[in-house]
Order: sequence, then structure tokens, then C-alpha cells
Amino acid sequence: MAALAGLRAPVVWILLAIAFFTSISGKPVDGVLMLIVAAGLAWDAGRRALRHPGPEGAPARTGPLPARRRRFVVIALVAAGVAYAGVVGSFSRYSWPATAGIIGLSTVVVLIGWHGPVRARPDGERPPVAGTLAWLVVLVAGCLWELSSLLQQPSLTTDSYAHPTISTLTDPLMATSPGRMLVLFAWVAFGWYLAER
Amino acid sequence: MNSHNVTIAGYLLVVAAIVLLQLLATKTRAPIPSLGDLLTRAMRTRTGRVGMLVAWAWIGLHFFAR
Repeated sequence: MAALAGLRAPVVWILLAIAFFTSISGKPVDGVLMLIVAAGLAWDAGRRALRHPGPEGAPARTGPLPARRRRFVVIALVAAGVAYAGVVGSFSRYSWPATAGIIGLSTVVVLIGWHGPVRARPDGERPPVAGTLAWLVVLVAGCLWELSSLLQQPSLTTDSYAHPTISTLTDPLMATSPGRMLVLFAWVAFGWYLAER
Repeated sequence: MNSHNVTIAGYLLVVAAIVLLQLLATKTRAPIPSLGDLLTRAMRTRTGRVGMLVAWAWIGLHFFAR
């Protein structure tokens, strides 16, 4: 019952779509993980909607850090990010050690996010509708362009030179250890940025 | 211009549009929110926050995991 009520959240449907397309693209592990999160989120959102109808949300765990402490936290996180990228980037792509490293960090970050924002942030005003629509048009166009390239490949698991996906275009960078480390560091930094939102 | 170049031009166009919108949002008074403001807004709720973090996790899984 709670999971059914949670299906009203659009994010759940987006995750289910990602799970479906990922699975048929030859990555069943990713698909199953997305499915688990979608089901968990639907159940959680439904449970909350049944208990407390109204806008959902969770209080922030801490307020803004003092400048000196924040500098120390930033340095520690950058060092940890460099170490993580160095270790996981040294493994081959699609190997079990790399998979374990990615799943481990992802699980930690998603669980942190599940319990609420890390820091308090002002709620801010509602963004202008026209400007928000402009962003949506550009981001959806990017996703559709990628999907169009994917569907024009000989098969979903075979790359195409004529219609390269972003994955295909980044293959040369990912083929080298320094390239993987660079991309992993950027990925970790973006995750940290999101976790702080 | 062959299909390969057209496809890449499409990606570059999207990247250019993202940069342009971000510049308009941060450097002018145009009524456009910055990408950071949009992300913050989208992550106000638990489903939005978890959804964004899972999308981030999916990128890592897609590029590196089995």
C-alpha cells in the first residue's frame, strides 16, 4: 500500500526507466541496484505520505561550519577524494574491484542523502518558470540526443562510430589509468557537491 | 559533414547551451536560475535528493562498474 502511494513521485518512475534501459543495455547489476533504490524510495515516500500528508523534507543535520573548521574539512575531503580516485582508478574498468569501489561509495553517499541534507541551506525563492523551462529544454534535449545515438547503434551493446554515445566518446580517456583517476575525482567532487545541497 | 561529426556537433551544442544559460544566470539579471539553484531546489525533498544522488551514482556505475 505504501509503495503504491509512493509511485506518485516522478523520481521513482525516472529511476524505474533508468533501471529498465540499463538492464537491456547489458548492465543487469546497475539495473537491479536502480530497481532496489526505486522500490525503497517508493515505499519510503508512500509511508511518509500516508503518515504526514503534505510537503516532505528532512531537517539539516548541522548548520554552517566555522571558516577554519570548514577549511580543514575541505582539505581532508580533497585528500580522501584524491586517494579514492588513485586507488579505484588504478583498477581496470568493469573489473570487480572497481565495481566494489563504486558501489561502496555510492551506497554511503545515497544513505547520507536519504537521512537529510548535510548542512542547512536557505530555502530560496521559487525559480522563474521561463528560466527553469529553458534549463529543462536543454537538459532533455541532451538526454534525447544521447538516446538517439544509443538507438542508432547496431545493437544496444555494440558501439557505433557514426553515432557515438558519450560513453563511446570517453572510451579513449577511460582507457588510461590517469584518465580514469581524473574522471573519478570529478565524479567524487560532484557527489560531494550534491550531498551538500 | 558525416554522421559522426553531426552527432558530436549536437553534443557540443548542448554543452554550449548549458554554459550560456549558466553565464546568463550568474553574470546578468536575466530571470534564469543557475544550475546550482535548480539542483538545490530539486533536492529540497527526500525523493528529489535521493533521486539526484542515485543519478550521480548511476554515472559512476555506468562508466566503471560491471
